[in-house]
Amino acid sequence: MSAPSQLVDRGPLAGMRAGRPRSQITYAFRLARRELRGGVRGFRIFLACLVLGVTAIAGIGSLTEAVVAGIRGDARLLLGGDVSARLVYRAADEAERRFLADSGTLSEVAKLRAMARSLDGGKRSLIELQAVDSAYPLYGGVALMPALPLATALSGDGGTFGAAAEAGVASRLGLKLGERFRIGDAELELRAIIEHQPDAAFGGLAFGPRIIVSQAALAASGLIRPGALVNYEYRLKLPTGANPESWASAARAAFPEAGWQIRGAADASPSLQRFIERVGFFLDLAGITALLVGGIGIGNAVAGYVASKTTAIATLKCLGASTRVIFAAYLIQILALALVGIAGGLLLGGVAPALVAPLLSGLLPAELRLGLYPLPLAIAALSGLLTVLVFSLWPLAAIGQIPPGALFRDSIAPARRRVPPLVAATTIMAALALAELVVLTAPDRRVALWYVGGAIAAFALFRLAGAIIVAVARRLPRPARPVLRLALANLHRPDAPTARIVLSLGLGLSVLAAVALVQGNLAVEVESRLAEHAPADFIIDIQPDQLAGFAEIVRAIPGASFAEVPMLRGRITRLNGTPVEEATIAPEAQWALRSDRGLTYAAEPPAGSRVVAGSWWPGDYHGPPLVSFDAELAHGMGLKLGDTLTVNLLGREITATIASLRQIDWARLGINFAIVFAPGTLEAAPQTHLAAIYVAPGDAEEALVRQVTERFPNVSAIPVREGLAAVARVIATIGNALRLVALITLAAGILVLGGAVAAGHRRRVYDSVVLKVLGATRGTIAAAFLIEHGLLGLMTAIVAAGIGTLAAYALVIGAMHSEWVFLPAPLAMILGLAVVVTLLLGFAGTWHALGAKPAAYLRNE
Amino acid sequence: MTSPPATAGPLVALDDVRLTLASAAGPVDILRGISLTIMAGETVALLGPSGSGKSSLLMVLAGLERPSAGGVRLAGHDLAALDEDGLARLRRHHVGIVFQSFHLIPTMNALENVAIPLELAGDRGALATAGAALERVGLGHRLTHYPGQLSGGEQQRVAIARAFAAGPQLLLADEPTGNLDGETGRAVMDRLFAEHARLGTALLLITHDAELAARCEREIVLADGRIVEERQAAPRRRAL
Repeated sequence: MSAPSQLVDRGPLAGMRAGRPRSQITYAFRLARRELRGGVRGFRIFLACLVLGVTAIAGIGSLTEAVVAGIRGDARLLLGGDVSARLVYRAADEAERRFLADSGTLSEVAKLRAMARSLDGGKRSLIELQAVDSAYPLYGGVALMPALPLATALSGDGGTFGAAAEAGVASRLGLKLGERFRIGDAELELRAIIEHQPDAAFGGLAFGPRIIVSQAALAASGLIRPGALVNYEYRLKLPTGANPESWASAARAAFPEAGWQIRGAADASPSLQRFIERVGFFLDLAGITALLVGGIGIGNAVAGYVASKTTAIATLKCLGASTRVIFAAYLIQILALALVGIAGGLLLGGVAPALVAPLLSGLLPAELRLGLYPLPLAIAALSGLLTVLVFSLWPLAAIGQIPPGALFRDSIAPARRRVPPLVAATTIMAALALAELVVLTAPDRRVALWYVGGAIAAFALFRLAGAIIVAVARRLPRPARPVLRLALANLHRPDAPTARIVLSLGLGLSVLAAVALVQGNLAVEVESRLAEHAPADFIIDIQPDQLAGFAEIVRAIPGASFAEVPMLRGRITRLNGTPVEEATIAPEAQWALRSDRGLTYAAEPPAGSRVVAGSWWPGDYHGPPLVSFDAELAHGMGLKLGDTLTVNLLGREITATIASLRQIDWARLGINFAIVFAPGTLEAAPQTHLAAIYVAPGDAEEALVRQVTERFPNVSAIPVREGLAAVARVIATIGNALRLVALITLAAGILVLGGAVAAGHRRRVYDSVVLKVLGATRGTIAAAFLIEHGLLGLMTAIVAAGIGTLAAYALVIGAMHSEWVFLPAPLAMILGLAVVVTLLLGFAGTWHALGAKPAAYLRNE
Repeated sequence: MTSPPATAGPLVALDDVRLTLASAAGPVDILRGISLTIMAGETVALLGPSGSGKSSLLMVLAGLERPSAGGVRLAGHDLAALDEDGLARLRRHHVGIVFQSFHLIPTMNALENVAIPLELAGDRGALATAGAALERVGLGHRLTHYPGQLSGGEQQRVAIARAFAAGPQLLLADEPTGNLDGETGRAVMDRLFAEHARLGTALLLITHDAELAARCEREIVLADGRIVEERQAAPRRRAL
């Protein structure tokens, strides 16, 4: 505390003396209470910014918790039992089956991709076939339309089996209820449409609609052949009191080589839960961004409030209040208002899940568990409080430090303010705490750290851009017309909000621009570049003895060609002998360990990949098992040349040495595998062939696929164009979701702009009145204000478009390794949006100013 | 639209002007039937206690406040017939105003502040004219200074230069020295009367200062919204 303020502490005001902090704090509270009696008119934007940010974080967090709780609550339904054991390629053997059946009530489900065909073969659809037994489902029920029991819908009579299918099958095959179709060699009757299936898998990119048939129907289809990609799921309802984890341990101990993947209700839908948490996390970051942008509005409001109290503060100082007491009194007011805003945000955010629940019903496989989730509310409250501290302390302290005389003269040329080290340190600590909160509560800390770095960089960039705009406006030659001069001068006058508006509005706009550009680039990539080089179809499950016939069909079609490789599926179980569960794996490589991967063997390096380390084996290699591995995955798993990789293939573990690493160009959409074995190891294992066919779209493709699937009913054709279209749709959906998120940030930016316009109202009215006195018409004055706002919007948009483009470019080139296409349309939209928003808000403010009666402002005080 | 001023008759004519403003306590009669004429080139001092209606009368005269009843003619124009923009144009061409609180635009420097009315009137040589006006008020060395960088007396001299820049027929001044110390106030008034003498501008001056009022040809005393006294100054006093 400075000597003068200690002196005045002994003044008449408080009866408070230096060294008696308790009485000072009591007085600060009393002062704060008196000040707050005057109302919170100046704090509407403060509260709006805070409520928006806290609502977003609390709402998104509560919604994520409600969905995750729903998934956990419905775990048995989603899993189909208390525990599930999954085998790939093979059904459980006699001993395994006996063990399973003895453990509780058993239900078997076989899942595979297949082709459904109309009876005349004219229409086909790739489907996900599920063959169930009579015990299915162990939990919940399948709802059909018409409302038949599942057993009735699937029963077989005289060689024809019943089937229940998703509506998509009926439309693709042109079927009505009661009509027949084929899967493999079996003829089926469509008896019912699936309306709800408790264990329906959730996935953004399903290959085709689901069809449920009986196990007898699957057997009749002839699809179960050696090497056919079939997942066998054994679900168990355990006796009451049995522990799923103990059962899993017992099962693993009893059959250590089974290679089955055992899951309990606790990890019923790990991918779904991961997906929800990840989406929640990204939305949460958007909420934090909105809060940060709102923070600028909060800071502006505090600065404006303190400025409006200049006389009161100076008077208090003159009467003997110390800077510390005044600072404390104003901080108490800000914190009291912050508590109001945070409480409002928590209330709105807490009820938000209930409001959006109807919109989400049907989109998620589990019902939302609505309730009060304290953790997201606590995170939202703490984020709000820290944001208020980060953005309020600076303006609060700066004014508090000025001597009374300077305060009286501050309206035109603010004195250079010194921020006390304690306040600067507290602000920085609050900012660090906010960053830490974001990182510690994130499911992916690496992304959270990137976010924090990105946010700091974005704030710095926009602040710099704002400062440059102000500096340029100041140095521009003064326009001859007073209207233009006034507009330009308002951009760079000492307390102009230009830089803050560029920052707050620009952030939202740049996110919007980046989302639009990345989405546009992805669309170009998927719809043009990928489609150009992609095969027409992938044909899967070709049996080795069908290969010659398949090649014959393709060669008979003019212009058609194909590439094929043998394909097996296996799961990576050990890295250098260490079980993968115990190994440290980078997040970007974890996907390769989550389930079975396709693998192949080859004498020559596959097209579309380049050996970047080690050397390819000789064409006639015969020796110990060797593999060539994807270089990026190897990096993520910490593997190098000479290390070993163990793969479980049909219950047998094969350990191979890494002989080479390859850089794989996945974007070619040709056939490629992360794991390629050297010849001599896998030839004898049951396998199928995967073929990519290249043929012109239209009749030739139609004829080729039709002939192949007619002659080999067990094979499935995956149309790549349809897949790409599905990917494009998913990209569009994600783009729309991200755009919505960007709009929250933009809303915060608009609030800040609105606050700045409101704060500048007095000045605008004053300018307007003086100009009227000097003979300016309303049109002239309106033009000046609109030019000012138009220029501000335009410059903000240009900066936002530039930074958004840079961010999008970095993502497309750096993170997605794709080619960059400049797309002017989204940027033009951003420009238009910014100018319209600023003009509208500016016009609203100007309209009021133009209507002000001059006389009231011109009378002598 | 404003047309060229009519030269015959008084420059300003107020006929039974009344102004009633609404307030929380009910309507308040500010002006209660003011009739007044000011001839071209005449200097008139308006005196009276606080709240007597002096500033309101000035606002009505400048077209900044519309009277509740009565007629106002300025330079041959009936103010009641003009809309807000028409009144602005009338001020642009015929009226200059000097306020006690200066009312300069803080984001414009002295030269630009003075140039505004000229530029609004479409004067291509506005800046040169404004520069000359500032020279005349002794601020030729302060052209690029902003209001915040000028003293009160300097700001008022800028305001005077601005008010006279377009060569108005009527200059209204509302206690122009009220915010200045005695010495500075006298210098400012000397400047104001010098400009009046140079341009032949009629002057209506609100003041509490009897000495200052005595420099005018006529003194009008207002009380409670009415003219209670009107006196012509002695020729020798006018010469001061």
